[in-house]
Amino acid sequence: MGSTDRIPLLSAFAPRSRRKPDSYSSQRMFTSKPSSHLPHDDSGFLTATGLSKSFDGAPVVDDVSFAIGRQEVFGLLGPNGAGKTTTIRMLSTVLAPDAGDVTIGGHSVLREADEVRKIIGVCPQELALYEELSARDNLVFFGRMAGLGRRQAKDAAAENLELVGLADRASDPVRKFSGGMKRRVNLAVALMSKPQLLFLDEPTVGVDPQSRNHIFETILRLRDEGMTVLYTTHYMEEADRLCDNIGVMDHGRLIALDTPVGLKSEIGDPDEVTLEQVFLNLTGRSLRD
Amino acid sequence: MLRPFAIAWIELKRFGADRGAVAFGIALPIALFALMYGVFGQGASFSATASVVDLDGGPVAAELIDRLSAFDGLGVEILTEAEADQALDRSHILTAVFIPAGFSESLEAGEPASVLFKRRGSGGDTGQIVSQIVHGVAQDIAAEFEIRELVRSRLEGSGVPEAQIVATVGDLMEQAGVASAIAVESRAVGVEEDALDRLIPGVLTMFLMFAATISAASIIVERNAGTLERLLTTRLSVNQLFAGKFLASVGRAMVQALILLSLAFAILRVGDAATFARVVAFSLLIAAAVSSLGLVVAGMARTQEQATWGSVFLTMTLTVFSGTFISVGETGVLAFLSRLTLNKYAIDAIGDMLTGSGGLAGQGPEAAILGGIAVVGFVVARVAFRTA
Repeated sequence: MGSTDRIPLLSAFAPRSRRKPDSYSSQRMFTSKPSSHLPHDDSGFLTATGLSKSFDGAPVVDDVSFAIGRQEVFGLLGPNGAGKTTTIRMLSTVLAPDAGDVTIGGHSVLREADEVRKIIGVCPQELALYEELSARDNLVFFGRMAGLGRRQAKDAAAENLELVGLADRASDPVRKFSGGMKRRVNLAVALMSKPQLLFLDEPTVGVDPQSRNHIFETILRLRDEGMTVLYTTHYMEEADRLCDNIGVMDHGRLIALDTPVGLKSEIGDPDEVTLEQVFLNLTGRSLRD
Repeated sequence: MLRPFAIAWIELKRFGADRGAVAFGIALPIALFALMYGVFGQGASFSATASVVDLDGGPVAAELIDRLSAFDGLGVEILTEAEADQALDRSHILTAVFIPAGFSESLEAGEPASVLFKRRGSGGDTGQIVSQIVHGVAQDIAAEFEIRELVRSRLEGSGVPEAQIVATVGDLMEQAGVASAIAVESRAVGVEEDALDRLIPGVLTMFLMFAATISAASIIVERNAGTLERLLTTRLSVNQLFAGKFLASVGRAMVQALILLSLAFAILRVGDAATFARVVAFSLLIAAAVSSLGLVVAGMARTQEQATWGSVFLTMTLTVFSGTFISVGETGVLAFLSRLTLNKYAIDAIGDMLTGSGGLAGQGPEAAILGGIAVVGFVVARVAFRTA
């Protein structure tokens, strides 16, 4: 368990014990270097190929490739500094990769960023909200930025505040909310444009159990309604509970990719092994180190 | 198309929701105005109250009181004889004008009449000025009655009705007052009037710069808060983002400029309503230029400290070298440096409008320069901006 040897995770096509996303078993793609000889399947709703990014010469994301099928909850796990947020920033068109490309819904983030932005929603790790304004005003504003008309934005704001359980606090300034409530508003903002693909970057950090459960339920409901979700978290039990597939990142590289059961099966009985143990086995350290 | 307006609206809403920012935004122009008023305003106007006791109650006494009330800067307080005497005894007032009984009747009969001016001690400087004003107004009325009597005596037996004589004399006296053969021009000697003329446009421009550059730093605030990145994952383009920030900056600057200008025009009386409208219109152009400069700072700055100090440095440098507080003359190094600042052109244009030597249409070169700065600044800011 304390070994630093990496598991040769070639179980990408292993049978999954959980709900399978549409046609997913043939779409998965996991690479370490080099990516050129790895399977590539354009039918994935999101396909990242050879994604790399360096800051001041230091690689932060190194040749990462993976695919996510429609209506899948995909977990990206890794410790701080593993490259998860930088990966999400590249996937969501904020940051241009140094190498590689990403297609989402058939559109390249490099060449068709405007098209990509029409179908994605981003819930960043920070509470990216205007705290002086009410929850409703925040949602309406970001909805309008996402292309909704005033009336549509107001309707969508009401709907999403209801979804995250904050309809009765719609008029209150966000600064008066608890941390968990702010996280829920943060999530609601990301849903304003009814995205096909939702990026959730550590959405439950510092959240009370009630709000965390609410966020879980919301994500599962969205998935059931057809949304694809890319989810990053520190919490292994969250990933185990929510994700159909999990990619593990460390030092900018994707070092493993499989279903939660598949990952756990590599080191023992999946009913007894935890993802925390899998991570320890892969990297030689705890996820929270 | 409407997203920049939505951004500007939300920025102004955030400004309004931030009590500290609102208090500062309103308090600062008021404090600046109070400073100007303290230095230049108080000596510019006269204000006093004339205490009047009307023992006559006739029409001429009423006319005298009306004319005193209409005198610029002079208020009239009507007292009874007992009240006036008591107030003088207790030094609550230093002077009082007593219109004796029979005042109107005497004048209407063509006989001499007088008013009594009681004072405590010398009556003070203000009392002496009020005394002179009362004296002048009473003389005017007396002259009118005297002329009317002369006209009446000359026309006696001609059949001209009394009412026509009164009306004609009144009209002619009024015309003589309005179009006096001797015009009296008031011209201040020394520095004060020039300083006020320069200071108001200078302070206005400096204020617009502060408001605009500080608000433009909101891009950095949004970057730090994560909202900028969130906005960049929506369908909002960077150009739209900048346009929205530009509009918000202009809006905030204009709110504060309007406060400053309203106070200056209402209390210092630096111009009429038309001048106010012209200055406000030109302020919009200045706000556009300084907002673009603010965006340049915001586009280049990577931290809030850089944005804040960059704004302060830019504002103070341009203010000092433009000659806001010192006269830079027409030639020499300072004059040359002032021409490199946008403030110089803003101050010149608004100064022209305030002194009445130029209207809005006459500010073409200045408007072109400020408009050019607004456009070039916006482009430079956009080029300098990095999303990450």
